[in-house]
Amino acid sequence: MKPLKLLALIIIPMGIILAAVPADKTRHFRLTADELLQEAGAGVQFISPDVVADMLVQKDPLLQLIDVRTPEEFEAFSLPGAINIPLSNLLAEEYVDLLNQDTRTNIFYSNGSVFANQAWMITRQLGYENNFVLEGGLNYWFSNVLSATEPAQTSPNEEFARYDFRKSAAAALGGGSIVSTEGAAPATAAKKPPVASKAKKKAAGGC
Amino acid sequence: MNDNSKTERSRRYLNPYVGGVLLGLVLLAANFISGRGLGASGAVKSVVATTIQAVDKDAVNTMPFMAEYAQSHTGSPMRSWLVFEMMGVLVGGFLSGALAGRLKLKVEHSPKITSRRRLVFALAGGTLFGLGSQLGRGCTSGSALSGMAVLSLGGFITMMAIFGTAFALAYFFRRNWI
Amino acid sequence: MGPLAPYEIISENTNFLLAFFIGIGFGFVLESSGFSSSRKLAGIFYGYDTVVLKVFFTGAITCMLGLLLMSLFGWIDLDLVYVNPTYLTSAIVGGVIMGAGFIMGGFCPGTSFCGAAIGKIDAIVFIGGLFIGVYGFAFTYGLWEKLFMDRYLGEPKVSESLGLSDGLFGLMLILAAIGMFYVAEWAEKKWPRPEY
Repeated sequence: MKPLKLLALIIIPMGIILAAVPADKTRHFRLTADELLQEAGAGVQFISPDVVADMLVQKDPLLQLIDVRTPEEFEAFSLPGAINIPLSNLLAEEYVDLLNQDTRTNIFYSNGSVFANQAWMITRQLGYENNFVLEGGLNYWFSNVLSATEPAQTSPNEEFARYDFRKSAAAALGGGSIVSTEGAAPATAAKKPPVASKAKKKAAGGC
Repeated sequence: MNDNSKTERSRRYLNPYVGGVLLGLVLLAANFISGRGLGASGAVKSVVATTIQAVDKDAVNTMPFMAEYAQSHTGSPMRSWLVFEMMGVLVGGFLSGALAGRLKLKVEHSPKITSRRRLVFALAGGTLFGLGSQLGRGCTSGSALSGMAVLSLGGFITMMAIFGTAFALAYFFRRNWI
Repeated sequence: MGPLAPYEIISENTNFLLAFFIGIGFGFVLESSGFSSSRKLAGIFYGYDTVVLKVFFTGAITCMLGLLLMSLFGWIDLDLVYVNPTYLTSAIVGGVIMGAGFIMGGFCPGTSFCGAAIGKIDAIVFIGGLFIGVYGFAFTYGLWEKLFMDRYLGEPKVSESLGLSDGLFGLMLILAAIGMFYVAEWAEKKWPRPEY
């Protein structure tokens, strides 16, 4: 058979196959240990409770709180809108789509931050993005956000701003009457928190 | 007569489609191993940069070209992927030529022109290509071939510009070839 | 999971060593296909020898198919494979200048090294010209700088800018290439020349 015909008979079907297969948008790649160490060290996974409180108050639809504690603890108390994925179940098939996506912002939380951090490390290592950790966990949440203490008179203005914000947030979240917020300027609550930049080392090419 | 040359052809050179597939596999290996495609003009650039640095130690500060090169390369300019690759090209080309009995020192030119004319045009063509490859950030190997394989837009554009221009100018230089 | 060097599966020195061997393969295939002959190379522009077209496109398509298939099987991470950047103005201007150089010199840098390796003096002279051209560029860089950096579009893929998937564009490219090959074979039959 003429070589051209043979060539055509081989590469055209291959081309058709590749054209028919949908390109996998969420390309998985695993982080190397180095990269994970870098990110963990920089603390890029932490989200301040003030930011989360603001997102809750604003009813940000992209927010998804994930409680990684046991179901019993989840029953006892959970943050508004949170779902429960016990840490032991983290890698279950049903949650992959939830954890590996780039639309919503998942925020892991637990009592302290150990379990939430573990959840983050595991999912980050798999290359999932948009997962974060609530800084300080529920303990910090309770003691500082929900029961904010009034700062001393000599404290800087930001402290007062934060206190005001926390009081109103606590009221909104605790279900009490809403106090008028005055200059409640929380930390920059970007609708989509910055995605941790991948430490990708692309080869230099050209010429 | 035609038949004769056809058999001559198949004995001397590879079938172009076979050659193409092999070339594609080499390129694939380069991409898989090094994450980058083939290239050629970059090696010339490396040698030029090395010589400039050797003559003028401060070139990095005085010449913007050197600064731009230094930015993208750390260490000795000769320690570049392309330099090693081009050394291999010389060896590979030699091996292939030796195996096929094509080793011969000569100037290849159309019988209708002189050797001298051919060499003048070779020099002129080389100079233009040297300049153009720097502007185009690659030559036919690096930009056009490798660029096409990874579907780079810049690669396609450069390729079309190269072949389009050559086709357009072919008429004016036909005496040199046919 | 490839590519090996960016993932540091192989060291930089291994990478350079393998570059040498890849180069040997490159040079061997080019020379065996006849790319060490400037008359064969220029043949595409006059219709008498279409080896450039066939080898070039078959090579690009083979690699493209290979990369897409490997990515499909998860053997390579295409995000880490170098995609040539697009600087619109310099890509066109550089290409035009190179085209002129090609039709005049009958070589491109890669093939000129092949030609030089088997003793073609015109190839060696071409290489000399390459050096002159690059030195010239280096010393007159100021003139070119603005043009060189103009209109940076990032590293878009053709498929992206056309809004097609990689596979679909690949198929179109394959069909176009096969079409061109048939035209090329017709042209060679119509304007035959003795083998160079």
